[in-house]
Amino acid sequence: MTSPEPLIQMLEVGKHFGTFQALKGINLNVSKGERIVVCGPSGSGKSTMIRCINRLEKHDQGRIIIDGIELTDDLKDLNAVRREVGMVFQSFNLFPHMTILNNLMLAQKLVRKTPKAEARDVAMHYLERVKIPEQAGKYPIQLSGGQQQRVAIARALCMKPEVMLFDEPTSALDPEMINEVLEVMVDLARDGMTMICVTHEMGFARSVADRVIFMDTGEIVEEAEPETFFNAPRNERTKLFLSQILKH
Amino acid sequence: MEVLTGWWDDFFWGSVVVLKVFLASLVLMVLFGLVGAAAKLSNNRIAQKIAGAYTVIFRGTPEILVILLLYFGSAITLTAIAQIFDPEVKFLDVPPFWAGTIAIALIVGSYATETFRGAFLGVKPGSIEAARALGMSNLQTFIYVRIPEMWRLALPAFGNHMLSLIKDTALISIIGLNETLFVAKQAIGSTGKPFTMYIVVGLIYLGFSTVITLTVMALERYGQRTLRTGT
Repeated sequence: MTSPEPLIQMLEVGKHFGTFQALKGINLNVSKGERIVVCGPSGSGKSTMIRCINRLEKHDQGRIIIDGIELTDDLKDLNAVRREVGMVFQSFNLFPHMTILNNLMLAQKLVRKTPKAEARDVAMHYLERVKIPEQAGKYPIQLSGGQQQRVAIARALCMKPEVMLFDEPTSALDPEMINEVLEVMVDLARDGMTMICVTHEMGFARSVADRVIFMDTGEIVEEAEPETFFNAPRNERTKLFLSQILKH
Repeated sequence: MEVLTGWWDDFFWGSVVVLKVFLASLVLMVLFGLVGAAAKLSNNRIAQKIAGAYTVIFRGTPEILVILLLYFGSAITLTAIAQIFDPEVKFLDVPPFWAGTIAIALIVGSYATETFRGAFLGVKPGSIEAARALGMSNLQTFIYVRIPEMWRLALPAFGNHMLSLIKDTALISIIGLNETLFVAKQAIGSTGKPFTMYIVVGLIYLGFSTVITLTVMALERYGQRTLRTGT
């Protein structure tokens, strides 16, 4: 019996910023429908790793293959890969000069070539899914941080991606807004979306993740199911990290 | 006021010329500014050097000199070329309208290059990353994200550039463009009333610049509606 080809394959991936090595020999396979949580101290390379998956950063060692397409400089249609990979950023990154609805419709029209009326329907569908359809006509600045991040998730979903990347989606939020964003993410996970989430929300990791990955100094130090990861971590660095973030 | 009788329509048509020069040079100025800024921000060394030379030369020389050089330089070149085909030709020039329009657009465009460059650098990298992550091409990102965010940042300085343009149109009278100052000089010649005629020109320019200032203010309000909180 052969397992299906993984959706995302990272093979011995390395990345330098000048002389600083941000990623060292990263090996990671993600299958369709899998939910991965990545954690680790700041500067551990976790953001860099997921940014390499949609080539916001270029890796300089190893191979990255997304749905059978290898990410290289020769890649003719990088945007074809990017539209299959949704991304949610720490600081939301909504287009400030556009209404919420236009934020959701822009890439659909330009990249997916979706007709305007249909793009609007899709946008409203996902706004309802993140429970803020009434904000469609407003500008990003008029929304709370939690609402902006839900819009950002909806914007990525409008492209009907194969996989969603989350780069510390709740780190910039006031505490009372974290849950509304996590609820949307849990909901997405239940629907079977393939997800890679860089987050320190350990409750989310426990209830949703298939695997938790711990990174430090550019390497994957530990990788386990949440049960094992939280209750019986093997590596000393993981234990130290967990004791620090779960102290209170 | 009787001295002005008979000159009103000349001033009117002079004003029309000012407006035409302003509009044509505005389009060219934006174009030169955008190309200059794009070149300065590009990774191409040669493009950077050319844009650097452009801003040094046109910001560092008197405007009136640029107009004269461009007009007579192009006329000498054109005449020389024409004489190859027809030795009878005495003088051939680029129409003063276009020589002047291009000259002031190049001058103010060199200032706009720096304004646009600064404004492009001020666009939040997050917006651009989001556009990339959504699969938008560089051109699409430029048109739908960079430009709309950039112009809001560029607007205050850009308003000044538009005022420079409208005022620089007066300089083109020295190469014989029949705009308002040119009309005033003719009127002075026949009426001997310099103060009255120059005041008329001053009021005409004040009228134009007021419209520009009000337009910029309205655009700023429009641009900032997305930056204000509340509904």
